Amino acid sequence: MKPNRQFKLFGTSRSVISPPFLDRLLGAASRHNARLLLFMVCLGVAVVGVFVVRDLQAASAEAQKMYSGSVHGLQQIGELQYYAQETRRATLYALTTADSNLQVEYADQSRDADQRVKDGIAEYGHQAKSLAESALSSRLSRDWTNYLNVRDEVLASILEGSTKEAVSLDLSGGVPAFELVRQDLNEVKRLYDQDASQRLANLVASSRRSSLRLAGILGFTFLLSCGAVWAIQRAQMLSSIELANLQMEFVASVSHELRTPLAVISSAADNIADGLIQEKAALRRYGSILQKQSRSMGRLVDEILLFASTEEGKNRYVLQPLQVPPVIESVLNSTEGLVHNSGFAIDRQIEPDLPFVVGEVSGISRCLENLIGNAVKYSGDHRQILIRAFSAPPGHGLATEVRISVTDRGIGIEPAEIARIFDPFFRSPSVTEAQIHGTGLGLSLAKRIAEAMGGRLSVVSELNAGSTFTLHLQVAKGEDLQSAQLTPRSAPLSRP
Amino acid sequence: MHRLTAVLMTLALTVLPPTHTGRAAASLAGETPEQLGGSSEPLVIVVNRTNPVDNLSFSELRTVFLGGRSHWANGRRITLVMRGPGDPERKTILRDVCGMDEDQLKTHFLRGLFTGEILLSPKLLATPSGVKKFVFNVPGAIGYLRMSDVDDSVKMVRIDNLLPTDKGYKLHTQLQVVNETE
Repeated sequence: MKPNRQFKLFGTSRSVISPPFLDRLLGAASRHNARLLLFMVCLGVAVVGVFVVRDLQAASAEAQKMYSGSVHGLQQIGELQYYAQETRRATLYALTTADSNLQVEYADQSRDADQRVKDGIAEYGHQAKSLAESALSSRLSRDWTNYLNVRDEVLASILEGSTKEAVSLDLSGGVPAFELVRQDLNEVKRLYDQDASQRLANLVASSRRSSLRLAGILGFTFLLSCGAVWAIQRAQMLSSIELANLQMEFVASVSHELRTPLAVISSAADNIADGLIQEKAALRRYGSILQKQSRSMGRLVDEILLFASTEEGKNRYVLQPLQVPPVIESVLNSTEGLVHNSGFAIDRQIEPDLPFVVGEVSGISRCLENLIGNAVKYSGDHRQILIRAFSAPPGHGLATEVRISVTDRGIGIEPAEIARIFDPFFRSPSVTEAQIHGTGLGLSLAKRIAEAMGGRLSVVSELNAGSTFTLHLQVAKGEDLQSAQLTPRSAPLSRP
Repeated sequence: MHRLTAVLMTLALTVLPPTHTGRAAASLAGETPEQLGGSSEPLVIVVNRTNPVDNLSFSELRTVFLGGRSHWANGRRITLVMRGPGDPERKTILRDVCGMDEDQLKTHFLRGLFTGEILLSPKLLATPSGVKKFVFNVPGAIGYLRMSDVDDSVKMVRIDNLLPTDKGYKLHTQLQVVNETE
């Protein structure tokens, strides 16, 4: 015995993954929207593109930072070396003249240059990133101060006019002190070169990683695109195959549906033509049979034509406010023959004071006739049908609506088939095996009509317990009701 | 041109107060501050900031400016800084400190250098800024500046315990004229 479970429309799930799972998944995707799949792929590619651009921007920013840092560092070292030399050069220039005014000018130049060196050393110390650089900065500052002390004495001697003493001082103290400064500056340059080499190596490694990432991302994108194209093509192919199969089944079913009354009509016509039927009562019975079978064929042809018109989207309804109870009464009257002849009883529960709904009489009637016809067809031995009409309270962001439900206690629907029963031409294999005739167009047609009127069709089914199909209709608003007073309440189903 | 200069000088002497330290003043070479009606500015004796000397007597100052003293108390050699001949401040020093004119001073130093009594002749600098920079760079330097030219790079020395702003300060020089029509 199969478990009794309730399945709501689009709320089904499968616990068993069969081997052709991918094909079934693709088939489902193609049924809903293949463009959605394409959109998802495009979105994936766009996200990948954003990552690639960000990666490239980061690499570019890193390279720019390294370049500007290198230029600034080289400029800083160059200025330090230049102004250190300038400090000494200006001091030595003062030795070359006996004019005190010129000597003072050179002394001034030397002091300006030494101030720049002090500033440069301070900046270097401030920017030091390692202990070695900090220690070197301190050492350079100390050695420079030592040289400046000697330089001040040399300048004083020069200005005093003691050139010999100045030269002696410079040779004994100035030259060694400046040599220490020169060595310190060379060490600064060496550390900078070492740091620049390290940064260059890091940049190269980063660039290599970036290239690999880029290649990987492009490869992934290529594979993803190929997979998407394959999936879309396969989904469309599966969809086409499935549609072709359904259409073949539809043709076979329609042929069968047409052949049965046609055979009856042909046989009756032959009997009458051959003079086998002479009695008046028998002739009347044959006439009734011919009338019934020809009407059955007419209804089938009408249904096919109506489906074809909704398929092309040409069907337009003149929507207006309607009262639900008269429409239900009309439908029950038109289906009374079918229901009573099949031995069914219909219970009705129509809520009093139902609001007006938006729709068209012929559209609502057609939907309800299809639903009642299905209830009769699939009810099995339980010949009881319930029709309810009630106002649904607003909730979940939806407006108030009127629902008309048709409930049978028949064979129910397989959970796996619930999502497909509204597809055109779909017929359950179990129904086909049970020799229950049909075209597979009824529910699809009813759903399209409901949606064309701004409503919808839903189903709740329990296998071997029955099904409830519900037509949801929008409640008419104030302006609709005002316009309804100017026009008749019912209008024929408009056809293209 | 000379008439315009004379008019400006007269105007400055009339308008500016006696203690004014600005640059617009008359250049009246050969006249004492008293003869100029008090239009003068203190002349400040300056030394290097590292020099421990704060005060000199007028006679010590005269000895220094005549080359009679070669070293400071801290052992630093004294280097005398003066402006070039014809400068008003130099004239003030020659007149009020050395008590000589240009020729007498020249003869004095030539004789001193020749006999070895004086080791270094004065250094001549063209501008007050040059004097300041020289004194700033040479620890044993001594020179003179107008009060308006003095700044923190050099150190003022009291003369007979008097600051240039004190009453009774002996060294004053004529206000300098700036001929704006030239």
